[in-house]
Amino acid sequence: MKKEASMRNEKRTERILGYSLVAPAMLLILAVAIWPVIQSFYYSLFDYRLNDPTKSSIHLNYSLDLEGYLQNYPFLKSALKREMATADENAKEKLSDVEQKLQKMDKTIRANEEVANRYDQVDEALNNFESPSDDIKIVELDKQAANQFTDAVHDVVKTLEQMRDAGELKQPDKVVGLAQGLKDVIIEPNFVGLKHYKDSLSDMRLWKALWNTTVFTVISVAAELVLGLAIALLINKAFFGRGLVRATILIPWAIPTAVSALMWKFLYDGQNGIVAKYFEDIGLVNRMGDLLTTDIGAMFAVIFADVWKTTPYMALLLLAGLQTIPSSLYEAASIDGATKWQQFTKITLPLLKSSILVALLFRTLDAFRVFDLIYVLTGGGPANSTETISILAYKVMFSQTNFGGGSALAVIVFICVAIISIIYIKLLGADLLSDGASAKK
Amino acid sequence: MQKKAGPLFYVFLAAFVFFVMFPFLWILLSSVKPLSELFGDKAFNWFTSHPTLKSYVSVFVNYPFLRYLWNSTVVATITTVYTVFVAAFAAYAIARLEFKGKAIILGIVLAVSMFPQIATISPIYMFVKKFGLTNSYLGLIIPYTTFALPLSIWLLVTFFRKIPFDLEEAAKMDGATPMQTYFKVILPLAVLGVFTTSILVFIAAWNEFLFSLTINTAEKYKTVPVGIAMFQGQYTIPWGEISAATVIVTIPLVIMVLLFQRRIVSGLTSGSVKE
Repeated sequence: MKKEASMRNEKRTERILGYSLVAPAMLLILAVAIWPVIQSFYYSLFDYRLNDPTKSSIHLNYSLDLEGYLQNYPFLKSALKREMATADENAKEKLSDVEQKLQKMDKTIRANEEVANRYDQVDEALNNFESPSDDIKIVELDKQAANQFTDAVHDVVKTLEQMRDAGELKQPDKVVGLAQGLKDVIIEPNFVGLKHYKDSLSDMRLWKALWNTTVFTVISVAAELVLGLAIALLINKAFFGRGLVRATILIPWAIPTAVSALMWKFLYDGQNGIVAKYFEDIGLVNRMGDLLTTDIGAMFAVIFADVWKTTPYMALLLLAGLQTIPSSLYEAASIDGATKWQQFTKITLPLLKSSILVALLFRTLDAFRVFDLIYVLTGGGPANSTETISILAYKVMFSQTNFGGGSALAVIVFICVAIISIIYIKLLGADLLSDGASAKK
Repeated sequence: MQKKAGPLFYVFLAAFVFFVMFPFLWILLSSVKPLSELFGDKAFNWFTSHPTLKSYVSVFVNYPFLRYLWNSTVVATITTVYTVFVAAFAAYAIARLEFKGKAIILGIVLAVSMFPQIATISPIYMFVKKFGLTNSYLGLIIPYTTFALPLSIWLLVTFFRKIPFDLEEAAKMDGATPMQTYFKVILPLAVLGVFTTSILVFIAAWNEFLFSLTINTAEKYKTVPVGIAMFQGQYTIPWGEISAATVIVTIPLVIMVLLFQRRIVSGLTSGSVKE
């Protein structure tokens, strides 16, 4: 009995130890990988643009930019005072009406204690020529207050513009300008729901990019598989200089993709590129320049560079799989009179199946999210003919600074990758994750 | 290993190696050509009669290339050391200890390693921007965790599993705690696996492009892949310097690959092959 209790105790300590050893790594993964993906999805529901100050963060509710407000309101008030001092009766009436509207609006804003507090903080900061932090200057408003504010500002601007046109103002540009400044201080909620997805999915550019990505992935991975398998079969024997060959084929894999892309750009160059010249000489392209300036030429160029870089990797994975097939199987088969081809289809391929699937899974996913190679080699051109979905998402995010739309595209990439993985994992079964320890028993 | 290699085989092998190495060879030859022979009718001559090291000098004089190399070294080293350290504990637990949910944890690790980078970049960019980490080393090390940590865990788990379980049983019999077993028995046997994992993680971090391109845009903090890719100006592309820079970054890789090829191959293929 005592022994059993101590066993159970031991099991418990082991379990606790296990969880606590795994915890730091899992928390990190959660924080730097899983949480950002969730956030990407969240961003994709907003009209989120970095170059537009009213959309440069996420707003679920109406809010007020106190800094913008306090840079306009007090000056407008004093400008109106000055105008009133010299205006005639009729104009004075209109001006005092405007002033009252503004005061009422100001009061409404300050009705909330929290807002009033921040109001004073921002005012003080501005008086000291400091710029208040985002946390302080943006306050939330309820929808009704926000609408009241917008309406009041609208009326005020309209009245002042009419007065300007009638020549009733002494400093028309200043007064109207200050009033118009108040238009921009209300920040509307930029939640747009699934609009970005709807827009993207009805945009031909997305479908073109998806098509390009698919073409790139299918052709390059298929070529890599066939070539990789051929190479693996050929070098699966004892020969002199094995290590050297292995090192050679590791080098394309090891150099940075961006660097190899640039290298190929030089080799493909329309005037001075040696590979372009050889391709022209053997009739693969009509003119050297075609390689990077025509749609098909550019896609071919990108795929060729990718095949060059990753076929060796594929060959290594498959070679490792081949080496686990016992040679006795082949001996037995050849005694039974099986031809080489029969041996290949009946022994090699079935036993290599899981290695092939794993290699295909990794390569398909890598090819599907291709970025560096195409970004450096063609930049997605010519005329978007090599623009893949990752490149498109990147351009929307960082060239157009449209984070909402770009995030929606990024989520679409994520979903595609998830679907591809699920298909492969279904094909592989639980093989990939099976606990090696228990499988051995 | 059943067949013996014939002469035809070596011809094929030589052709294959030549094909794979041709781009490097050409870049190497171009890097010592004078500028005038990189363009025009002499562009297709294999060998130059006036070899020069001008491009190499220019890379260091006209570009902050040394700085790029240093940045890449710092970022890749720190990323490797810290992720392998964190991963070693997690991998030990997953491979060696009994507790529920191991398969799920490993599944999450594998799934995260398949995440497309583009799906995490906008929140990560906003995060590093908010904390003023753009153009800093930490600004890259944090995002690099996204691929380095799952990769380390995945590789280390396969290495830890290969160590015979009897050793642990024996240590337990002698009254060692799991942590003692880890430090005294498992870790010394897994040194090679940890080393292999470190090489692969280092290469992955050294080669990373997207985060580096987005987050560290100042010359002072660019890494090698981004730095070289940005050599190209708006209208001209300095092919001489690009060739020289490519040779400079490739040579250490060639040496590393020659030295550690056995380890790298075992790392690349572990997890993909069921023995």
